[in-house]
Amino acid sequence: MQGPDERLVYARWLDWGTRIGLGVLAAAFFAYAFALVEPLVPLQELATVWSLPLERYLAITGAPTGWGWLASIRKGESLCLLGIALLALVTVMCYLRNGISALGSGERLQAGIALVQVVVLLVAASGVLTGGN
Amino acid sequence: MEAAAAPWWIWPLVLFAVTFGLGIVAVLAAASPGLLRGGLASLRLAMPLALVGSITSIGGALLGLALPVATVQTALGVTILAIAVLMWSARKSEHPEVASPDALGTALRMHGVFHDPASGKDIEWKVHRTPAAFVAFGGIGVLAGMFGLGAGWANVPVFNLMMGVPLKLSVGTSGFLLSVVDTSAAWIYINRGAVLPMLVAPSIIGVMLGARIGVRLLRVAPAAMVRRLVIILLLVAGARALLKGLGVWN
Repeated sequence: MQGPDERLVYARWLDWGTRIGLGVLAAAFFAYAFALVEPLVPLQELATVWSLPLERYLAITGAPTGWGWLASIRKGESLCLLGIALLALVTVMCYLRNGISALGSGERLQAGIALVQVVVLLVAASGVLTGGN
Repeated sequence: MEAAAAPWWIWPLVLFAVTFGLGIVAVLAAASPGLLRGGLASLRLAMPLALVGSITSIGGALLGLALPVATVQTALGVTILAIAVLMWSARKSEHPEVASPDALGTALRMHGVFHDPASGKDIEWKVHRTPAAFVAFGGIGVLAGMFGLGAGWANVPVFNLMMGVPLKLSVGTSGFLLSVVDTSAAWIYINRGAVLPMLVAPSIIGVMLGARIGVRLLRVAPAAMVRRLVIILLLVAGARALLKGLGVWN
């Protein structure tokens, strides 16, 4: 499965995925930076809070954690996070495509690697792992 | 310049410009489609190692959020500078010779023919010391997660010096691998609320656009020049991180 064809298929999926993600992120950032959408933290106050330790920053701004940003998707910050999340999910889609293709061609080891990687990425995305302080 | 004194829009603008430049020279994650199409990255080489790296990067990200920033920066600086010395002292690293590939690398089909557009040559490559490389990428993953996605430079020496992969293929595959490993760690930061869109969004856009130019340069640049560039960037990045960690550079 890892021959030139699969490499090119992976590249095509990745290319389209990153184009879409980048497009959404650029549009979201434009709307956020030029105040076309309401921000969670007023832009003029950002520089005074962005150097704070994480816990204080979250307490003062009320910035969402986990997938909480979806609930405030009308805010500029959340729109940008949507673009970032889309970009982060592109790898999952590419690996899924690659793993299914490898499974179809009987390459179990490569399929296993690809599909375990999908699981790892989904676990990371799920928000289950949020240790640290 | 004090952060609070400067207008807020200065920082995203500066970040966009800096990361655009970084993207050109660093050939980061966004360049992967071009890297794969141009044969500058190998899927079969990257995928197993990326799996190990992404698992450990999650642990590193959790650890990084719990450690003091100065400690993290100092450790990052020392690590990068050590890698720079390693790259500088290595001989014939552009096209390493691998006498006999190891069993694990062979089982994972980590071999192929790399076409270097700069020299016009087809270079047959294979790998050795694959088990050690798995351990190394596990460690790199921890660093990548702990340092907020900044340890990707370590990939190139492991591919090139440890496994015997041609330098340009190492640089390209490292870019591809970063896109996987850093994605895992990025989710931890997103879920913790540790991503500031005003700073992160222009950085991502800048590095992705810059990287598209970087891939074209990587194709045509002679391997010796790529090696020198990698060493210079390692020295600059390492010195900066170390100085920040020691409080000399704020």
